[in-house]
Amino acid sequence: MFDMSLGEDLSLIQDQVRHFSTRVLHERHREFEERHEVPESVVAEFAALGLAGLELPETLGGAGLGALAKVLVLEELGAGDPGAALALDGLGAALYPLAELGGPAAIETYAVPLLDKPAARALLVWGDSERPGGNRKPLCGAHTCDGTIPWVPAQHADRVVVLDREGAAVLDSGFRFTPLKGSGLRAAGAAQLDFIDAPIRERWQDREGAARALARWQLHTAALMVGLMRTAAETSREYAMQRVAFGKPIAHHQALAFLIADMRSAVDATRILVQEAAWRADRGLPFTGAAATAFVEAVEASMFVTPNALQIFGGQGFMQDLPLEKYMREARTLGLLAGGVDLARDIAGTEVTTSSDGFALSPILAEES
Amino acid sequence: MDFSIDAATAHRLAAFDRLGREQMRPLGLEADRLGRPTPPDHPYFQTLIGMGFGRTRWRPSRGERSRGEESSDKVGNSRATLLLSEQLSYWDRGVAVSAPGPGLGEGAIISMGTEDQKQRYLTPFINPDKPRWGAFAMTEPAAGSDVAGIQTRAIRDGNDWVLIGNKSFSGNSSRADFILVWATVDPSLGRAGHRAFLVEHGMPGLQDFHIERKMGLKAYESTSFRLEECRVPGANLLGGEAHYEKRAGFKGAMDTFNSTRPMVAAMAVGIGRSALDEAIAFARAEGMTDDPRIRDRLERAARKLRAARLLSLKAAWLADHRQPNIVEASMSKALAPTAAFEAASLGMELLGLAGARGDHLIEKLFRDVKAMDIVEGTGQIQRVVMARKLVDLPQS
Repeated sequence: MFDMSLGEDLSLIQDQVRHFSTRVLHERHREFEERHEVPESVVAEFAALGLAGLELPETLGGAGLGALAKVLVLEELGAGDPGAALALDGLGAALYPLAELGGPAAIETYAVPLLDKPAARALLVWGDSERPGGNRKPLCGAHTCDGTIPWVPAQHADRVVVLDREGAAVLDSGFRFTPLKGSGLRAAGAAQLDFIDAPIRERWQDREGAARALARWQLHTAALMVGLMRTAAETSREYAMQRVAFGKPIAHHQALAFLIADMRSAVDATRILVQEAAWRADRGLPFTGAAATAFVEAVEASMFVTPNALQIFGGQGFMQDLPLEKYMREARTLGLLAGGVDLARDIAGTEVTTSSDGFALSPILAEES
Repeated sequence: MDFSIDAATAHRLAAFDRLGREQMRPLGLEADRLGRPTPPDHPYFQTLIGMGFGRTRWRPSRGERSRGEESSDKVGNSRATLLLSEQLSYWDRGVAVSAPGPGLGEGAIISMGTEDQKQRYLTPFINPDKPRWGAFAMTEPAAGSDVAGIQTRAIRDGNDWVLIGNKSFSGNSSRADFILVWATVDPSLGRAGHRAFLVEHGMPGLQDFHIERKMGLKAYESTSFRLEECRVPGANLLGGEAHYEKRAGFKGAMDTFNSTRPMVAAMAVGIGRSALDEAIAFARAEGMTDDPRIRDRLERAARKLRAARLLSLKAAWLADHRQPNIVEASMSKALAPTAAFEAASLGMELLGLAGARGDHLIEKLFRDVKAMDIVEGTGQIQRVVMARKLVDLPQS
């Protein structure tokens, strides 16, 4: 029956990550942004938490935990610094196409070796440069990839995985990073990524596997947004109780009191959509529609919560002494990843309009037996 | 974490679907067309009694054993109740509210009432011989969300109480065996002056029942009535004198609201799902679903309902585990009605001028659903309640 309790193991992991994220990531996020990277000492401290193989099967040396554990961890990291979260989680979302399309063999070949190198990064990019109403220009052909990704939140990668609607390709060479200033998530780096006749090392064709991999990437990104929004909402809530205008704390003016209530609702609504989709994935149930739904909600909610968090701080919110402006930039850039929000709308909307049994949107499932 | 429902609840939901499709929805459409509540002698209500509805959850205590039962029942079951409420509202919320039973006052009677009061007023609902209703009356012409402002006076006269005032929008009250009436011994005391009375049908002075004409939800009666020096025995003061010496009367009322907000949110979700299903069916039949403009709006309506449903369940889960749920309960109640309204309004847009004919289910749902943002605390009150917790918003 519907149950929100995490259980001992997940609570413990959540506490550990929250502690690290609050103490290290949130404290030093401006420094990371400035450097366009996370220092080695922090990378080492994160590695010591032992979260790198969280989702890997136990047979391959991982913890064998699922998507739900992962979104809990990512929310906490996102609450500290989502850019740093991308930098620290070296395998990141690149694991998903390997697992969904290539299976254990691909994980063993392409993912496990990277885990032994603390600063190693695998980068996942979306290879369908399709825009609403525009032409589709896939990045990869049968043997090589050619083209440009205008921005990636990375400055280097040991391995690039290109995911598109048809499948995924693994590349180890033939790509070049040209550093950029970047708009948000600079802690992870910022670069233009060019593929010049880049040789594909292995390619899988499987639309359903690609859809699942994309869904996991959407959840990965949405979970970071939940954490980021949570911090933005909490920071502004606390400030609104301190700041006095027209004779009382600004939070006690009803326009702001209601806004703060609505911001909290937006965070909680997104979180529960993310968690439900992750639970579906772990249960082996269809989850691509649920994940796309959670991603769309995360993008819309983060574009409500983070600009309003800044707004509550007024002029100070616009200044870079405070992190509010950074929250807003990072929420915006996170929402551009994983193929973007319109792709997610396509997926979620198609499920809504084509499912056969009435309210198959049902997030609640009857037990099999 | 677990987002599934257990087999027993799933089974009951499936049983409800048959009742809903075959009886509730046609009955709701009929009441809407005729513009009157389903009459109390309608065979539908007898059918419900036969199916085991209309009963109280209260059981007379028999010493040690029942106390043992109570303590073993630590984890509540409001999640299941919530899902069932949602499903009943999916078929017809007005018909669902018209169902016989002890009504909204049941919780207050169980938690505040004396043993004698429970015996007298709830025993007939243990195994009812016929459809019976109980009712609840708090709202007044001049006091809605601000329940602290009720004006109905309770004046002590010997062993009796005399009630004077007007009550509004009280569900099922003209057909009820009893009405739990809230009054004040002194309006200047605010909540501390509140008292609840079990007023029986036929007591002299309980009069002038007027069934309101509503925009929607016509299948159940929303009734106003007058208490014209209505004399009530002292034994009908809910909880007895001692209860009010110990704690404020107001709190009893707010406790009942507390547990019902997620339930009302779920009812809104039910109406919204109904409208969305109809809208999708219509869009499919008309070949509209390939248009991204249409599809995106359907996606949004589905997403908002999905989130509201999960949040109402979360609030119920907290209540089941006796954890504070004020923010979560109000959150679900704030979000669900607007999500459901959006679904119904979108349905009207897809129907186009056919929606304006006034004979489509979506049009009825569009009228029905508006009430959900008003009953059990308006959307604005929910935000006030949340803000009290989140930013210590002062009470006044």
